[in-house]
Amino acid sequence: MITPLKFYEIFEQKKGRRRSLFTKSLVPGKQVYGEKLVTEKGTEYREWNPNKSKPAAAIMKGLNQFGLKPGDKVLYLGAASGTTVSHFSDIVGKGGMIFALDFAPRVVRDLVSLCEIRENIAPLLEDANKPESYKDKIIHPVDFIFQDIAQKSQAEIFIKNVEMFLKKGGYCLIAIKARSVDVTKKPSNVFNEVKRFLRERVEIVDYRELDPFEKDHAFFVCKKR
Amino acid sequence: MAKDFRELRRKLIAEAKKKVRESTGKDNLIVQAVSCIDETDRAANLLAKRLREWYSFYLPEFSSSIASHQKFAELIQKKQKKELLAQIKLKEEDSMGAEFPKEDVNAMLELAKALGSLYNLKEKQAEYLEKAMKAYCPNTTAITGSLIGAKLLSLAGSLKKLSSFPASTIQLLGAEKALFRHLKTGARSPKYGILHEHPLISQAKKAEHGKIARLLADKIAIAAKVDFFKGDYVGDKLKNDIEKRLKK
Repeated sequence: MITPLKFYEIFEQKKGRRRSLFTKSLVPGKQVYGEKLVTEKGTEYREWNPNKSKPAAAIMKGLNQFGLKPGDKVLYLGAASGTTVSHFSDIVGKGGMIFALDFAPRVVRDLVSLCEIRENIAPLLEDANKPESYKDKIIHPVDFIFQDIAQKSQAEIFIKNVEMFLKKGGYCLIAIKARSVDVTKKPSNVFNEVKRFLRERVEIVDYRELDPFEKDHAFFVCKKR
Repeated sequence: MAKDFRELRRKLIAEAKKKVRESTGKDNLIVQAVSCIDETDRAANLLAKRLREWYSFYLPEFSSSIASHQKFAELIQKKQKKELLAQIKLKEEDSMGAEFPKEDVNAMLELAKALGSLYNLKEKQAEYLEKAMKAYCPNTTAITGSLIGAKLLSLAGSLKKLSSFPASTIQLLGAEKALFRHLKTGARSPKYGILHEHPLISQAKKAEHGKIARLLADKIAIAAKVDFFKGDYVGDKLKNDIEKRLKK
């Protein structure tokens, strides 16, 4: 039995101890990354794998607020091949739009193929650290920003983009990889530093560490003041 | 609004496609070629071991008489069992090998044939790499040779990145695991990465390895910068500098 969660357009299925997340497929019949497809009462759902997608991992870890809703305009920084983007695309649905940005040509190749199948995603091959370079290419302010990039200055990049593109009161989520910030420091110290840095600039509404799905990663849900 | 987005999306897809197309350079091709050589090597080694194991039921004494896998695969295809026995001066009745019908032996020889073509592939790719590296980064290649040069390029990601690295980073390319272990736990620091494959290092005394790696990395850092900014050829001069320093 697939039942809705408290978040918009995100579903779960419980089988014994196993719990899995799903989103309603925007383009039925098409797999994106080899995920499982399940059809129930004529609706097709795609399994959202927490081992491959950090927001899914955060939800599995009991996130209280997620903030993404149908019809949202989304800026997605660090889209990679589009695994997570495809689920966001399911959630925002036909009325929403996602600007998916990545800096590496190799992964944008896969991302473009995804965009051609899903009409609510637009790809950008840009450097998230230079928001001026794509300021005129996207429609902003956006309702939602998600960032997942493994850079030393990931928190600074995040704030730069939030200040430039997010509407007031909009949700912004970031996945922090401790090893990219400083391999020699203890992850918990890195997370505390990031927390202090973010708290001065945005309102942190939820926080989760992502183990065992991702090692040394933390997930922040914030809101722009 | 939705219509705006539809048009914008079409434009952005076209732009991303164009950028991806234009981002492909000689770096990408060299990185692929050197990975191909590495993987062919690994595959060939694996299959060669299988071939020797297999063929040794037929003629066990021959395998240990030849060190080179490539030669081994060639010879067992070219010569009959009798000739091979004569070559290692062994009487047929002294051999531990069993007799098989022709089809069983042919199955082994098929593998030998495929192995031969793998070695052939590797040689062809190495020739290509040599040419490509000499044209793309002649100075770096003069110091490192095409294979190590290409591996450095592949570890750095591109010539642009390699040219922006300081010598100390180049010295440790390929030793990331040891480096981070050193930074994290205070274990002894690595002295060289992929550069240890360089003949000047592998042939030197153990105590000198670190020093020579440092010297090589210094010169490679210069060479990569010259290569990237398309300066005049200084490869021979850099090479001479290295040799002079080594003589001291």
